[in-house]
Amino acid sequence: MKVKVISRSTDEFTRERSQDLQRVFRNFDPNLRKQEKAVEYVRALNAAKLDKVFARPFIGAMDGHMDSISCMAKNPNYLKGIFSGSMDGDIRLWDIASRRTVCQFPGHQGAVRGLTASTDGRILVSCGTDCTVRLWNVPVATISDSDDSSDNSMKPLAVHVWKNAFWGVDHQWDGNLFATAGAQLDIWDHNRSQPVNTFQWGNDSVISVRFNPGEPDVLAASASDRSLILYDLRMSSPARKLIMRTKTNSISWNPMEPMNFTAANEDCNCYSYDARKLDEAKCVHKDHVSAVMDIDYSPTGREFVTGSYDRTVRIFQYNGGHSREIYHTKRMQRVFCVKFTCDASYVISGSDDTNLRLWKAKASEQLGVLLPRERKKHEYHEAVKNRYKHLPEVKRIVRHRHLPKPIFKAAALRRTMTEAERRKEEKRKAHSAPGSISTEPLRKRRIIQEVE
Amino acid sequence: MAEKKRKSKEESGGGRLQKKRKNSKPKTLKKRTGPRLPSKLRKELDLVNPNPLDGGGDEEIDSDEGELLANNLYEYEEAAPEEESKKNRRFDSVENFEYELPEDFKDENIASDDDDIEGEDEENNRSENSSQLGDEVEEEDDGRHMRMLQGITGMPSEAFEGKKRKNNVVVSEAYPESEYNPSRDVLEGNGRISIQDLLDPLHGKSGYSKLRKRMHQVERKSMSVHAPLPKADREKLERKVAYEQSKKDITKWEPLVKKNREAPTVYFDEDVDLGFSTVGAIASEFEPRTDFEKKIASLVHDDKVLEAHRKMISVEDVEERHNRIAKMRSLLFHHEMKAKRIKKIKSKTYHRLLKKDRLKTASAEIQMDPEAAKELAMKQEFKRAEERLTLKHKNSSKWAKRILKRGLDVQDEGTRAAISEQLHQHALLTRKMHSMKDSSSDESSDEDDFDENSAGSDEDGASKLLAKAKKKTLEVLEEEDKIPDSGVLSLPFMVRGLKKRKEAAYEEGKLAINEFDASLKQMELGSGAENLKETASSGRRVFGTVKKQVQEFSNKDAHYNNSDSEDEFKVKENIEAANDQNNNLPKHVDIDAGLLREESEIGQDPIFKSFDDIVRDPGPKTTYEVAMFASGSWKKMKSENEANGNIIKPPSKSVVPPRHNQDQGEVGGDSDTDDEGQMVDGTLSSGMKATYELPSQAELIRRAFAGDDVEEDFEKGKEEILKGENPEPEKPVLLPGWGQWTHVQQKKGLPSWMLEEHEIAKKKREEALKKRKDAHLKHVIVSEKLDKKAEKLHTKTLPFPYTSKEVFEQSIRMPIGPEFNPAVVLGALNRPEVVKKAGVIIKPIKYKDVNPHERVEEHGQGGKKQNTKKSKGVGGKTIKKTNNLK
Repeated sequence: MKVKVISRSTDEFTRERSQDLQRVFRNFDPNLRKQEKAVEYVRALNAAKLDKVFARPFIGAMDGHMDSISCMAKNPNYLKGIFSGSMDGDIRLWDIASRRTVCQFPGHQGAVRGLTASTDGRILVSCGTDCTVRLWNVPVATISDSDDSSDNSMKPLAVHVWKNAFWGVDHQWDGNLFATAGAQLDIWDHNRSQPVNTFQWGNDSVISVRFNPGEPDVLAASASDRSLILYDLRMSSPARKLIMRTKTNSISWNPMEPMNFTAANEDCNCYSYDARKLDEAKCVHKDHVSAVMDIDYSPTGREFVTGSYDRTVRIFQYNGGHSREIYHTKRMQRVFCVKFTCDASYVISGSDDTNLRLWKAKASEQLGVLLPRERKKHEYHEAVKNRYKHLPEVKRIVRHRHLPKPIFKAAALRRTMTEAERRKEEKRKAHSAPGSISTEPLRKRRIIQEVE
Repeated sequence: MAEKKRKSKEESGGGRLQKKRKNSKPKTLKKRTGPRLPSKLRKELDLVNPNPLDGGGDEEIDSDEGELLANNLYEYEEAAPEEESKKNRRFDSVENFEYELPEDFKDENIASDDDDIEGEDEENNRSENSSQLGDEVEEEDDGRHMRMLQGITGMPSEAFEGKKRKNNVVVSEAYPESEYNPSRDVLEGNGRISIQDLLDPLHGKSGYSKLRKRMHQVERKSMSVHAPLPKADREKLERKVAYEQSKKDITKWEPLVKKNREAPTVYFDEDVDLGFSTVGAIASEFEPRTDFEKKIASLVHDDKVLEAHRKMISVEDVEERHNRIAKMRSLLFHHEMKAKRIKKIKSKTYHRLLKKDRLKTASAEIQMDPEAAKELAMKQEFKRAEERLTLKHKNSSKWAKRILKRGLDVQDEGTRAAISEQLHQHALLTRKMHSMKDSSSDESSDEDDFDENSAGSDEDGASKLLAKAKKKTLEVLEEEDKIPDSGVLSLPFMVRGLKKRKEAAYEEGKLAINEFDASLKQMELGSGAENLKETASSGRRVFGTVKKQVQEFSNKDAHYNNSDSEDEFKVKENIEAANDQNNNLPKHVDIDAGLLREESEIGQDPIFKSFDDIVRDPGPKTTYEVAMFASGSWKKMKSENEANGNIIKPPSKSVVPPRHNQDQGEVGGDSDTDDEGQMVDGTLSSGMKATYELPSQAELIRRAFAGDDVEEDFEKGKEEILKGENPEPEKPVLLPGWGQWTHVQQKKGLPSWMLEEHEIAKKKREEALKKRKDAHLKHVIVSEKLDKKAEKLHTKTLPFPYTSKEVFEQSIRMPIGPEFNPAVVLGALNRPEVVKKAGVIIKPIKYKDVNPHERVEEHGQGGKKQNTKKSKGVGGKTIKKTNNLK
């Protein structure tokens, strides 16, 4: 006769230290817990609510410029550094952690319109409306200089005067070249005083340019004739032009998907394109209520941040039609430039009110070192929330944002307008011969032509 | 193609030319440009400047020329552009663009034409010279004529230019087309000079063959420079090529991007370089800077010091090692000594005990693992076989023979004992062994049984076995009397439980013994006799209930005779079929086996005891039972019997069908026929038809539910539900005191607005009812009640990435919380889509080859590979500092 007896080994049940947690054994038999779905739903709801409670995205403003900020550049090799240029020709290097100016780069006579740093973070390139391109040595960041914010100003490494005013500049990834946008697109070398290559396609000035970080010889530019132009440096020739109904203010390539880029358009939307199929946008990102001024991809390639003339910063999923987050403050004016930091956890915006603002990329993220259990808990909350995000209650809480009145009203107005348009279209379709009127999707509607 | 043309031209000569001219005519006519002039004017023009294309001028055009005009458009373009001609001042003066063609540019179609011209240029040189004069004259003429035309029509000169330019082209490039051209005859006739003609005189001279070869070469691959494309077109082409190229190049990323997109999690924190990870690593990086440090370093790294250090360490090490080895040696030595001592022991008791021990362990081993048991069995088998062969122990030895010769009685006790011992040994070895637990096959055991039984009669064997079984049962019963007096089993409640069970077992055992006795007796009485009467009676006894049921069925049939009854009969038929099969089974069962089989059955069901059954029993099962008996596992079986009381169920089941068969035989008044069931059916139905009218299905149902009005109930219920879901509007009532003092309301009745409202509400309700899903379904209620609380837990539509409801439900079926999942899988379940670390710079994607057909790798590897290298310089120190930014 055998009798089974509960036996527990002492090793498994003695704690090494008195602070240790008691080991808990669980029976995972699903028959024992039948309420798991309900429990998790409630948890998801609570997680969503907690997210709202802890959503404090604004970390601080960086104040120092005397005029509105026109452009920014991040140091690809140094997390804490960010450069900003303002309309009065002032360029500053900021220490994000202390939110203070590290040094200034004086010299520009007019507005600084473009800033970029080389991949190794040693050289800063700036250009502006004074028709000059300036190269600067970036001071090596040490522990000491982040403490005393001496207003040490730098001398330019080189100044290249050129024929036309510049609208933007971008540096090649892992290379020596940078491109400026002006009356035409110029490709420069660090060591040359003249552009090594010049592209002109049409007579309209180029207003923004961005290199593809994954494919360093490919770049995209937008021109004031509402066009988007792709260039290939290997062929030293422009490749394709796409003309849209409205102007594109800025472009950003997806750093993890070298074929895709997103264009920030005047018509309040962003358009994600596949560089290989320009006849239609892959995704239209709607939500802004005024022109989108700047766009920057997160280094993870999963989301991007946009700054708009409607005084808001929004964060979109790379494949989402609507924004996941909107940031605004009472004092923030028109946003002219936005950047994601290199570790994908912060967003910096530069606006008309002469301030740079530092935001968290995830509004309710807990900063600082997390204990493993804490981290697990956060992960669980996130997972549960993600699982039940389709249920109405959770969805409502997650989606809800408090908007400034003008933006709310403008959004409502836009909605009614688009709705009216849609209805009209529908009616027209209903009252005409079947097949005679075909509605183009929004992805195609804003494209006029693809020029070879 | 051009060459062919040319050759054919040369061959066919003038006859062909005629044809060509005809062909070229419509083409040239089409080419006419310029404004349409009034016919009068045109006539005038024709007079002044006889058009070579019209009527008379026809013959003036050389056939080649016509072809040229038709095909060679660039010639047309190369003419001086209007702006250059400065005939009117509408164009600014622009620098002339020089076209250059890319080197690898080729177009053979055009080339051929060009070639034609080139080839013929030479031969036409002469004629050109001669026509020079005429040309000039004509040009002058044209100028004057143009001015005149301008004066008349008031049109700009370009209007007339088209035609003229053509003329110009012709004049400058190819052949004169003036009718005054003296070389016309030469051209028209057969007197064309070809290269062949020029070459012929050189025939036979030195270098002729070379020249000819060269000519052939030139003819064969004629290269010509083409006119460059306009800049816009060229650039367009370039861009197109560039785009195609970059498109192709960028496509290489596709698999990688796809993989990353499909990966459940992307990792960006893999290349975290936190600098030094261990103290040793930090120490190894240390470099002395100050004097003091240098001094210390020099001391530390001094050879002598190092040597000393090394030595010190080695002494320790060596000592330790020495100790260890010494310990091992001493252990070995002690073990050896012990073994020696044991080996020397002569004590028989000791060795006996040792042997016993060994046997015990061996037996334990046998019990423990079947492998050892098998081996042992094999060994024994071998021994037995040997014994059977040699008969070693059967008093066949010299010694044994001698002793037997002398007589056993004479021998002393020891010898007798030895002899008997030997005989016993022989008996043991030659005896049939059933102790082998895994009897190799049923057949062999069967054979063994036969062997054993062949000594006596069948009955004898059976009785023997029965006796044995009885004995064993008794043994078991006795055995169980021992009560454990320690441990958990000695606890009072356990004891009680055991007792109870034991009693039950005892009862059962007793019953079994009784049965054994009975069967033994029966066997004695006359085992072989087959008493059919008894069989029948037993069958009736056993299946009395079943029979009753069947009768009941038939009764029902008599009442209703619906499809149910048919079903019943079908079942019966099925059973019969099964029975037949059973009966057809090979029955090589002899009586004793059947008996055994029965006895085993008796243990649980003593009532079922009939010889008939035994006979019907299929063979294999009996053998199985026998094997059980023979192997001595009876005890085990018994215990099993106790445990679930029903272990021999399958055989008893198999016994059932034949009895059923009998039963049916009774019912049908027939026995042991295949189609008895059908016959039953037939008789029943025929009986029915004679007496009974077949009621319809509806009738039957109506009859069945005669008492209760279901439909009414349902309708009422539906109405109630409708009222609940779409409540009826309240009837307007007079409010007490309202308007009464004037008696107005009493006179007027209800105010009209109230009535109106009521009407509207009623209409609304009716509409709502009409819209209901069950409005037209008389027998259905589709509830449209919304549970607001439940609605919260449902999505209105299927969420985007999912294509079916099932998939979506599956995706949220399993919980992911720590309470419901073990910690091992929790991480994987809750992992976010992007794993990154604050303060780690994420570099853009780097290209690497990805096999698109490969499955997504496991976690931890599926993420994006980052560039692990951190560039030196500025970044060198930033690595550590990145952690500050939190």
